Amino acid sequence: MKVKLENLTKRWGHVYAAHDINLEINDGEFVAFLGPSGCGKTTTLLLIAGIYKPTAGRILFDERVMNQVPPKNRNIGMVFQSYALYPHMTVYENLVFPMKLKRTPPAVMKERARRVAEMLGIGQLLDRRPGQLSGGQQQRVALGRALTKQPDLLLFDEPLSNLDARLRLSMRAEIKRLQMDLGITAIYVTHDQVEAMTMADRVAVMKDGRLQAYCPPDELYDRPRTLFIAGFVGNPPMNFLEVEVVQRDGVYHALRAGFDLPLSAERGKQAAGRGSVILGVRPEDVMIAEEGITGEVYVVEPLGRDDLIDVRIGDVHVHALADPNRRCRVGDRVHLRFNTQKIQLFDPKTEQSLLWT
Amino acid sequence: MSESASTARALEVGKMRRLQEKTSLRSLLSPLLFMAPAIVLVVVFFFIPVVIVLVISLTDMSTATGFNNWKWVQFDNYSRIATHPNTLPVLRNTLMYVALTLSLFNVGMALVIALLTTHIPRRSGFLFRALWLLPRLTPSVVYIMMWKYVAADAPYGILNQHLLGPLGIPPTNWLPAQPWFFVILTNGFIGASFGMVIFTSAIESIHRDYMVAALVDGCSLWQRIRYVILPLIRWPLLFVTTYQTLSLLTSFEQILLLTEGQFGTEVWSLWAYQRALSNYWGNFQWGFGAALAAVLVLIGVVMALVYMRYFQFNQLVHEPKIEAL
Amino acid sequence: MEDRLGMGSRWRVAILLLALTILTVPILVGYVWILISTFSQRTYGLIPVDASGQVGGLTLRNWSFLWEDPNIWKVSLNSLILAIGLTIGVVVVSSMAGYALSRIGFPGRRVFLGTTLVLHAFPSVTLLIAIFFVLRWIARIPVLGRELPLIGGFGYNTLGGVILVMLALQLPLGIWLMKGFFDHVSWDIERAALIDGCSRWRTWWQIILPQIRPGIAALAIFSFISGWNEFLIPYTYITDQQQSTIAAYLNKLLSDTAPVNYSQVAAVGLFQLIPVMLFFLFTQEYLLSIFAGGTKGGS
Ligand SMILES: Nc1ncnc2c1ncn2[C@@H]1O[C@H](COP(=O)(O)OP(=O)(O)O)[C@@H](O)[C@H]1O
Ligand SMILES: [Mg+2]
Repeated sequence: MKVKLENLTKRWGHVYAAHDINLEINDGEFVAFLGPSGCGKTTTLLLIAGIYKPTAGRILFDERVMNQVPPKNRNIGMVFQSYALYPHMTVYENLVFPMKLKRTPPAVMKERARRVAEMLGIGQLLDRRPGQLSGGQQQRVALGRALTKQPDLLLFDEPLSNLDARLRLSMRAEIKRLQMDLGITAIYVTHDQVEAMTMADRVAVMKDGRLQAYCPPDELYDRPRTLFIAGFVGNPPMNFLEVEVVQRDGVYHALRAGFDLPLSAERGKQAAGRGSVILGVRPEDVMIAEEGITGEVYVVEPLGRDDLIDVRIGDVHVHALADPNRRCRVGDRVHLRFNTQKIQLFDPKTEQSLLWT
Repeated sequence: MSESASTARALEVGKMRRLQEKTSLRSLLSPLLFMAPAIVLVVVFFFIPVVIVLVISLTDMSTATGFNNWKWVQFDNYSRIATHPNTLPVLRNTLMYVALTLSLFNVGMALVIALLTTHIPRRSGFLFRALWLLPRLTPSVVYIMMWKYVAADAPYGILNQHLLGPLGIPPTNWLPAQPWFFVILTNGFIGASFGMVIFTSAIESIHRDYMVAALVDGCSLWQRIRYVILPLIRWPLLFVTTYQTLSLLTSFEQILLLTEGQFGTEVWSLWAYQRALSNYWGNFQWGFGAALAAVLVLIGVVMALVYMRYFQFNQLVHEPKIEAL
Repeated sequence: MEDRLGMGSRWRVAILLLALTILTVPILVGYVWILISTFSQRTYGLIPVDASGQVGGLTLRNWSFLWEDPNIWKVSLNSLILAIGLTIGVVVVSSMAGYALSRIGFPGRRVFLGTTLVLHAFPSVTLLIAIFFVLRWIARIPVLGRELPLIGGFGYNTLGGVILVMLALQLPLGIWLMKGFFDHVSWDIERAALIDGCSRWRTWWQIILPQIRPGIAALAIFSFISGWNEFLIPYTYITDQQQSTIAAYLNKLLSDTAPVNYSQVAAVGLFQLIPVMLFFLFTQEYLLSIFAGGTKGGS
């Protein structure tokens, strides 16, 4: 099923939890809503589910306007952060409850519950109550309950954020797998960018109720359209430096005190003559080298596979990833080389990218 | 696109619209249905009666006139109250009853019990508070019967037999001798539990830091109560005082059972009740009784409205986090 | 930490306990007496005595009313019907209204909430005179008024009428309590139910009510005890012996027989007290929670 949001707006008093959101989700697509806590992700999801009523705008499933349709007629399966299992029902009763409401024949109901339970590996828990299950098990039951009714749309509201890191990793893969196999359109809300990037076909980034970007994960990573996206996506986060871009002898240079970086022509010309602009570069695109811009090692944070080196250049700090074998030590003088093909440039006032529109 | 397909589509759209209208009408209906029984009961047994009391107080309706031959008398009942020889004594009784019961028991004893039970081990505290709940849970007839026996003349009465006898005080029938003592005691032992529960939870919610600070400062128990606990629970104190004033002002069941208003213990609400609904001579004066009750109703309405503000109503109303009906 | 903050020495605890005990004795004396008296020919104070005034004279004679007076069973049954009817009524009506007020946004919600709160503080006994007229009108309604089996109808001089009045007077407390209980149920569970395909009614009945069972139990116990105990309202609105309740019966016994044979009356009193005491022994916590939730102070 296709989902379309048109100018979707939700306001509480002065707070816009969703502000003029437009986006379209294709049949069978897996879309992640990504944004910091409080940006309106849950609200948008609940608007789609029909729990909240939009202040303005429309919600369409395929071509049908859903604004007035009560939640129970939307055929949606939803998984909540709090799991929201019915505590007074057994796992089995939880699984079949949505089907009962749809008047599914008992034989079909039983068969489907069994199959879903098998698929999720909770077959041996059917007689227990939610209170007797671990967090991971409850999560599976909640997922199962959303699946058994064979919904047209799956909604996930930070479903993994209460699980420990290792479980999160395996559930992530499993959810992605299930969604692909079943081909159900899915919206997945998360504040964890890794989750969004690894699972989604497209990511919708939200901030303060507004849609910041809506594109595939690699585009989000390689061609961030706003300063916010550039800073929010990626870990460790992108370095930002205030620079001025000037053309000298046909070559573009990004300049600031103690910092002179030649830029590629097609990037440099977008920023030249604008005065002060913001240059962004990810730590993995900054390398410790034999020559280049000089700085002093300020902090070394071992991350395991790499060391994250905080290098001071004049009055700014730049993070770089380095091979631990280099054994950088605090106080060392080092040289930095930048991968100029990955440099981002932003207008400091509008916070829009100068490279991508 | 073929014509039939577009017609089908138009039909589909029309059907959908009708369906939506139906659901939205039904959805408005459902909260109303949830509320309906409560609304009917409140209207029939609160709103209509308030009007009835006020209306009937303007008539001379009584057993003598029946329900057919009564007439409007405007404010005659009220001027009769103003000049009635009973009015002053009853008013004095009512004030005395409310003031003494309130100060000695509903607030005073309640506070004492709450303080004592929060300064002994938890389980004992709980036990004593539960015991203080007993009078309220006991059927009022049984409860008053116990007290009548406590006060009874020798050789039966418990007071004479076990307390006053050994002290050498001559036995008598104490209920007629000291009616107010027993009216206040019986009502007070019931009334104290309300304040006790509220004060206890208030005291227990006082932040430990205050108590620790008081201890560190070397406060004695008394100083701690006086300077730490009392100032911090003045809000619940005010609440219990006002709330219980209203309940005491209008309650009469225990007095009805204990003395029936004899021995000079008639209070305002009992007077109204007896005039209108339980009259020895079978002459029910509904008009006059209603006028007596109307005075209390008006006091009740005004004070209840004051509570609205007092309860900080706005903080109690949370908007629902589901908008689908 | 058994030793509570600032409790000080053992001695002080002992003194506080002693003070509490002295204050509490007057409450307990009555119950002790009723227990002793019920099984004695007579009592002098708390001492059982026989006909000649000698200590002794224990007997079961006082309980003979159970088989000699058929009325006791009739009035007990009436009280039971009153208590059960009231309990069902209060729980059903309050939990419906409480749910709507706590969880559904509808026009007029704030007004209803405010009204409930005002009525909660309003002293309803002042309306007894007017309610007398309301019941007389209801009595004129055919069938519903005074021709129903078991409860007699809903009008004046019927058990059903008394149930209705008590139900209405307890409603503000019940609604307010229920609303409080509903306020604490997880929103996500209710959202899940709506998305899974429930209507608001089914959500209320199948999903939310089961979450607040302790609250319902507390309100039910409280209502049952008030119905079983109630004296004033049946006494005021029921004149028909066949519809009378145990409290009114006991009161009649107390005021009719002169001089009062306390031991016999005490037995009837204990008979009425037994169910209440059982509830008290096993459910004090529930009862205290009701009182903490907002009592309608009797006196
Ligand atoms: N029911 C509500 N009433 C009023 N404000 C709300 C409500 N739900 C959410 N908000 C506000 O809307 C904003 C977005 O909230 P939410 O959608 O929960 O964010 P997220 O899920 O992205 O953390 C927040 O500022 C929040 O305080
Ligand atoms: Mg959220």
